[in-house]
Amino acid sequence: MDELLTQFLIEGRELVAEAEAELGRLSANPRNATALDALFRAVHTLKGSVGLFAMKPAEALLHRAEDQLGAARRNGAPLGRERIETLLACVDAIDRWIDELEQAGETGADAAIIAERLIARLDGGQPESGSGNAPASGLPDWVGPLSARADALLAAADQNLVAFRYSPDPDCFFRGDDPLALALAVPDLVDLAILPVDDFAAIGDWDPFRCQVLLEGLSSAPLDAVRAAFRLVPDQVAFAEIAPQRAETDNAPGGDASRIVRVDGARLDSLADDVSELVVATNGLAHAVRRAEQTDPALAQILRTLQGDIDRITGRLHRGVSAIRRVPLAAPLRRLPRLVREIARGLDKPVRFTMRGEGTEVDKMIADALFEPLLHILRNALDHGIETAPERQAAGKPAEGSLQLQIGRQSDEVVISVSDDGAGIDPARLRAVAVARDVIDAEAAAALSDAQALRLILAPGFSTAAKVTDLSGRGVGMDAVARAIERLRGRLLIESRVGEGSRFEIRLPLDSITTRLLIVEAGGERYGIPLDQIVETTRVEAETILPVGGGRACVLRDRTVPIIDLADLLGGEAPQDRIARLVITQSGGESVAIRVDAFDAQIDVLVREPRGLLDALPGVAGTALLGDGAVLLVLDLPELAA
Amino acid sequence: MSVIVTGDVIALVGACLVEDAEPLLVALQADPTRSVDVAEATRLHLAVVQLLLAARPTLTGVPADPVLRDLVLPLMRHVNR
Repeated sequence: MDELLTQFLIEGRELVAEAEAELGRLSANPRNATALDALFRAVHTLKGSVGLFAMKPAEALLHRAEDQLGAARRNGAPLGRERIETLLACVDAIDRWIDELEQAGETGADAAIIAERLIARLDGGQPESGSGNAPASGLPDWVGPLSARADALLAAADQNLVAFRYSPDPDCFFRGDDPLALALAVPDLVDLAILPVDDFAAIGDWDPFRCQVLLEGLSSAPLDAVRAAFRLVPDQVAFAEIAPQRAETDNAPGGDASRIVRVDGARLDSLADDVSELVVATNGLAHAVRRAEQTDPALAQILRTLQGDIDRITGRLHRGVSAIRRVPLAAPLRRLPRLVREIARGLDKPVRFTMRGEGTEVDKMIADALFEPLLHILRNALDHGIETAPERQAAGKPAEGSLQLQIGRQSDEVVISVSDDGAGIDPARLRAVAVARDVIDAEAAAALSDAQALRLILAPGFSTAAKVTDLSGRGVGMDAVARAIERLRGRLLIESRVGEGSRFEIRLPLDSITTRLLIVEAGGERYGIPLDQIVETTRVEAETILPVGGGRACVLRDRTVPIIDLADLLGGEAPQDRIARLVITQSGGESVAIRVDAFDAQIDVLVREPRGLLDALPGVAGTALLGDGAVLLVLDLPELAA
Repeated sequence: MSVIVTGDVIALVGACLVEDAEPLLVALQADPTRSVDVAEATRLHLAVVQLLLAARPTLTGVPADPVLRDLVLPLMRHVNR
């Protein structure tokens, strides 16, 4: 893809998100002048960028929006609610056109009509009084926007402007000169003013054949080109080059724009991979120190000191790269508010959507992978959770549904929750449907706790909608959401109260470059288990393990937990120790214990995706290279226990 | 003939050149409350424009010519304010 376009797709969307955020601020407080200024700048910059692409309707629409915002800034009149709604609709339209540009290389065929309608809506709500654009002399209102454009160009030009001041010879009319025609012929003219040389004479004493004015203008063309336009009257013109007034335009949120460098994500990924390898190689030093201790304690001492230094520096480097890779979730999630509005409109359900904490930073890989699952959960909430306005009123709730997306950080996890105040999920109904659809048998369904029954919606192919709508019924069910979150080594929690609403909580690790593993031994082999899959490790007397049904189980804190023997499972010899070492994990919302022979060290490693034969093995998350060069098989416990 | 006076309205029609400034001045001096209709104008010479700037009559009509409409007429507003 063309580099300019790639850049625009990123920046354009950022500006859309910014405009949207400022509009949100303005709707909370219409007198927020800072928000109005920031909105104006976002719209202005956006207008400049869309001009470079096949987005004529966007340009026209933004132009009009900018004019009106410019006027609002000047006259200080707050934007009305209707105006804010219209501007939001404009921003949504721009956002959609950017999507279309990315997919098709141009805006859709209906763009011009949409733009026209939105422009008409913008014009319709023009405040009647106090408008700075209202021409004092009763000129038609089409002149207003032009002056706004000139102001904006002056304030925010990206390039040098050439100013000229042309003082025509008072007798030039006799020679057949028309200084105005000359000035209008200046290339890339962006502003022009006609000023009286002295105060205008009274009309009674007016001399129509004397030129009594001078012309001042601005051009974005190079100085030489402007000078060339005045080549016949060089002695009557003065020029000045004006540098862009950056201070005025750029000192808002992006004030540090000049210090921000955009880096291709792939280069960052490769840097992160190298750092991970370095962490692994550093792990190898520990091994070398242990070897040296046996043969040469003095050398070992030196090595240990070195190892400490390298560990510390590597740790810093690792944290630094992790931090660089972290991006605010705001960018990948910025399309959500618009999509939620569109979906709600399509379903004819009034919904107030709020998003909080989108400034939370997570690893880029996680940020990129979160959009789809989140959209699906939101879609589900709108489709199945929130009721129609009449249903809500009948239930004594406000007609407008509430849907909240909350993002926050808890120690080294990101917690993302989607909650609605809709109908909630009825576990009894889920059980009945699951049985009717052969997802589980009646006995198993009855044995499920309510919390476990809620997880039935994550079962492949499970859909409880009375009718399949075109929204949620796309064959991508909640099971896909659950899988996507598991791939990110995250967890999905579901809470629901019938009649009151539901809450979906996603918990994800903050960083994903290296994974902290617990090394365990089983059947004479060593395996790695990602620490974030481990709820706890524990030791129990082997004799407290009892056969239950076809398998074995033990009682942990008054709850029966099924036990899987890792050595058994992987074809090794089952341990005979009197003490059973257990790793407790969560699989499908239930605790499962994995019995191992021994616990070993914890290490930070880069887990590589399983390839070739390994890929076909269930329960293998990948491989890791150990410091001593050995390859460790990394297990995926929930999959293994399923 | 570019300056046409009809009662209270002075219409500027077609290309208004330097020689049209005088009839316009006469018309405005005779009745300063006359408005000036620029709908049919295609070009305005600076001699005409500076007179309109000084006399500040009410301007009516939207000229079709883009340069006139988008660049020249807005200029009058700057001084009028």
